[in-house]
Amino acid sequence: MTAVSDHELRTQISTLLNSGLVTDIFPRADSHEDVHKLVNELQLAGNDLNSKLLIAGFTPYPVEHGGVCQLCETCMYYKVHRRYCELPELDVPVEPHWSCRLWRI
Amino acid sequence: MANLLWLQGGACSGNTMSFLNAEEPSACDLVTDFGINVLWHPSLGLELGDNLRKLLNALTSGQMPLDIFVFEGSVVNAPNGTGEWNRFAGRPMKDWVSDLARVAGYTVAIGDCATWGGIPATAPNPSESQGLQFLKRQHGGYLGANYKSKAGLPVINVPGCPAHPDWITQIVVAVATGRGGDLSLDEFQRPKTFFTSFTQTGCTRNMHFAYKVSATEYGQRKGCLFYDLGCRGPMTHSPCNRILWNRQSSKTRAGMPCMGCTEPEFPFFELAPGTVFKTQTLMGVPKDLPKGVDKSGYIKLTAAAKAASPAWAEEDIFVV
Repeated sequence: MTAVSDHELRTQISTLLNSGLVTDIFPRADSHEDVHKLVNELQLAGNDLNSKLLIAGFTPYPVEHGGVCQLCETCMYYKVHRRYCELPELDVPVEPHWSCRLWRI
Repeated sequence: MANLLWLQGGACSGNTMSFLNAEEPSACDLVTDFGINVLWHPSLGLELGDNLRKLLNALTSGQMPLDIFVFEGSVVNAPNGTGEWNRFAGRPMKDWVSDLARVAGYTVAIGDCATWGGIPATAPNPSESQGLQFLKRQHGGYLGANYKSKAGLPVINVPGCPAHPDWITQIVVAVATGRGGDLSLDEFQRPKTFFTSFTQTGCTRNMHFAYKVSATEYGQRKGCLFYDLGCRGPMTHSPCNRILWNRQSSKTRAGMPCMGCTEPEFPFFELAPGTVFKTQTLMGVPKDLPKGVDKSGYIKLTAAAKAASPAWAEEDIFVV
């Protein structure tokens, strides 16, 4: 995926999230079992963007959980320079201040 | 000339295979250069049946000195504490272990099964396996917490699944050449010379660890295996990235996570489904953090390191 298409897709996701797309923000994936369940759901969703955003619980703003601010920016799947989530089941461009319930550090 | 006897309990022979692949020094060097007399070894010994029993009896009676007793594999106590599941030379192996450990100059446990019970001792531990002087983290094991060999040392534990070939031969040479007293052991009776630094020490992925860039697949050259793929390198004491395997590589260098096999808890999480090669997290934070790092410090460090990471850290820099 090129930088230009990253930009376009990021804009598209931003528009979806800011125009009222309802995603499953909670419960967060606190345990390994929770993570496993969500990753399985993502695998079943394939490449459908809306489903990915919904299942992962994307928000265009930070979510604090358990006293920790769960920002894409600090997530281990986040590529800082590309502004990208490289969790294979998500594989989407993101903004650093976004959040999702698969956050892990 | 130092007499060495090597026996196997509940074992897969992995440590024997490792020993036979040693290079510095090799198994042959032990005999030719260091004057070690290998009395018997499961893969090398010539004696069978009565002749082997005679040899063992000569050792246990004190008729022949036993300078180094090497044990590979767990001590099998099943069924019901009898040890009958692992018979050897006419009696339960555990009885030989008791008698030989009593007369040995040094007793050396090789591999996880002999040190802490290893995979055979994983719950529900049907073979009632124990390590020679530990069961997992619990001090005691088969020989008891107070055991000391005639040289005054407890069991020298050389863990690993398997132990690195050269850890084995170098420790054997040290005790055979009268330098056993120089060995400094840690709380789990591992020689400090090998088990003070971490598997991560010398890992080629340390830059990616520092900048918090994760590997997402096995064999991937960029990225650190700790964040997602369950690597235990930052918490495991071993020199796997200082004393390389086959003189050229290590698991982490090859893109496979360290499984922490030199630690008493190995195999971790009792091999529960989903726990192998997957970093276990609680609310997004790894359950097991690098040794000495607390959760709050880890989160702060990660945020700062990620923010400071250079672009090259996200790319494959190992260009052919």
